Amino acid sequence: MEKIVIFFGMALATYFTRYTMIAALGRELPPLLRRWLRYVPPAVLAALVVPAALAPQGRLEPGTHAWAVLAGVIVAWRTRSVLWTILGGMAAFWLLRLLGI
Amino acid sequence: MREFWRGLLATLPLAPGVVAFGLLYGVMARQVGFSPWEAWAMSLIVHAGSAQFTALGMWQVANAIPIILTTLVINLRHMLMGASVAPYLRGLSPLWKALLALWMSDESYALAIAEYERGHGSHRYFLGANVGIYLTWPTSGLVGALLGAAIPDPSRYGLDLVFPLAFLGLLTAFLKDRIGIAVAIVAGGLALLGTFLLPGKWAIIVAGLLGSVLGLLLEEAHKAWRKS
Repeated sequence: MEKIVIFFGMALATYFTRYTMIAALGRELPPLLRRWLRYVPPAVLAALVVPAALAPQGRLEPGTHAWAVLAGVIVAWRTRSVLWTILGGMAAFWLLRLLGI
Repeated sequence: MREFWRGLLATLPLAPGVVAFGLLYGVMARQVGFSPWEAWAMSLIVHAGSAQFTALGMWQVANAIPIILTTLVINLRHMLMGASVAPYLRGLSPLWKALLALWMSDESYALAIAEYERGHGSHRYFLGANVGIYLTWPTSGLVGALLGAAIPDPSRYGLDLVFPLAFLGLLTAFLKDRIGIAVAIVAGGLALLGTFLLPGKWAIIVAGLLGSVLGLLLEEAHKAWRKS
């Protein structure tokens, strides 16, 4: 029972972070703010990719993951497709694993 | 309805990643004393993977308040994501906004914002992506908890690459000019540096903030240069 209370507390905290800005910025915004916000997605997405490639376990160890993501970069650049980028990156990962690299 | 399904289907390529981490979450939840139903309930109610893993790690040594506060801090990155998607949701009713915020994950946000950037986005697509992840995450957590056996580390099979590769594919929507490319390179580098220096998800927040401010500054500089 106590667990459920904590779950709802966690849900509330999570919801706060997801809803606040959508509600607060849901009107006509100053042009400068709007132009800044357009650069947030590329910054956030790149921030989610690079550490996962070069430091998959939290330590800098460029290995199979880095090569797989590099293959993903090439596929993403050529196809702009999420599916093909995942397939290309995973194929590279498995190929390198099978070759023992 | 069509747009909803398009958003839902867009989450399919990410499903192996969601399932791999969902199974692992289920197993870890059992290890800290959750029943399968409690593991399921946590995913259904909270629906925030990173925060849930962190909470499990704290469960036996912390009580409610630190767990909830940690959840808040881990999820602060969603404020940045929410801010960037907000302009696209401007005309929607408060109910729609509230609904879209409910199951917004890193993955569904990324799918939705890239689709908006490409000019094909819609709130129904966004909702479809949210629901797609929401259908997979709690279910795989329950399965992992019921199996209970040792699930191998997803990184051994490269399954921890599914999300980064998906983000990479979506990132291309934003690399239309040199400023976009510069923002991505600098933010990526800052995030890598931040991973070693900052706890939790702060690296993403700091890199997201600094990278996007750099984008604005470069745009301003470019404008000033063209005027002169």
